[in-house]
Amino acid sequence: MKIKVTSVYVDDQGKALRFYTEVLGFAKKADFSQGPFRWLTVASPEEPDGTELQLALNDNPAAKAYQQAMFQQGQRAAIFFTDDVKGDYERIKARGAEFTMPPTDVTGSTIATLNDTCGNIIQLTQLKRYSG
Amino acid sequence: MIDRERYAPGSAGGAQVRKDGEKWTLILVRELRHSPEKVWRALTDPAHLREWAPFDADGSLGTAGATVKLTTVAAPTPHITETKVTRADAPRVLEYGWGGKEMRWELEAVDGGTRLTLWHNIDRPFISMGAAGWHICFDVLDRLLGGNPIGRLVGAEAMKFDWQRLHAEYAKQFGQT
Repeated sequence: MKIKVTSVYVDDQGKALRFYTEVLGFAKKADFSQGPFRWLTVASPEEPDGTELQLALNDNPAAKAYQQAMFQQGQRAAIFFTDDVKGDYERIKARGAEFTMPPTDVTGSTIATLNDTCGNIIQLTQLKRYSG
Repeated sequence: MIDRERYAPGSAGGAQVRKDGEKWTLILVRELRHSPEKVWRALTDPAHLREWAPFDADGSLGTAGATVKLTTVAAPTPHITETKVTRADAPRVLEYGWGGKEMRWELEAVDGGTRLTLWHNIDRPFISMGAAGWHICFDVLDRLLGGNPIGRLVGAEAMKFDWQRLHAEYAKQFGQT
């Protein structure tokens, strides 16, 4: 067994695909449809065969209520790792994304959070490296 | 289930694509050797739909104004959409939506059978997928109507029956390669 796919709920898959590719910089990986069902995933260009992120349409009332409550509490729906959180912050901000928290030092890492415009708070994490 | 194992779809055909502004419509035509009344039942009765359609219906689609829940079959996660039948002129014209996309079925009596035409409003990237999927569904429908049901072939199950080849043929016909 491998962890190969994880999901975030989005309110609009077309809008989500644009945000996750054009703003965040991921690449479209799978895109299949059967009637109203659409299996849509993106992957990191740094790791094209790495874990995929499914952009799942949120048409489930229970999931919507959960997603809204988590968003209002500022709880993140996914965490992406980066080697340069400040660089990514500047790059993503320049493309129009709204950060709910700029790069901030916390225990063991520097994190930033942003609004993915599809109903989620996304966290970027850069682990601190200790030398010596 | 021997007949199911033997089944292989023929060549892509009978499909057209129409673009109206930003709206894309897949138009499929299939001639069936059965009466419009019989085809109508297969298009509207949940027990019949279960044998060939890519969705299950929790009620008859044969009454205008009826609200019916459609469950996409074989989707990786349960996917249910509610639809309203907007037109049901038995046994000629049937209209309802599927996940916000319009579908119109027209049944025309032709020499000893029915010419079935489906207009399915579908997003452009998925038109050839839709054409390949419906092609296999119509083959299964044809066998069901002929009293020789082979069981529904949708989703991953369709992939085992030459879906990729059909999909590539339709994509080529639609100039999407």
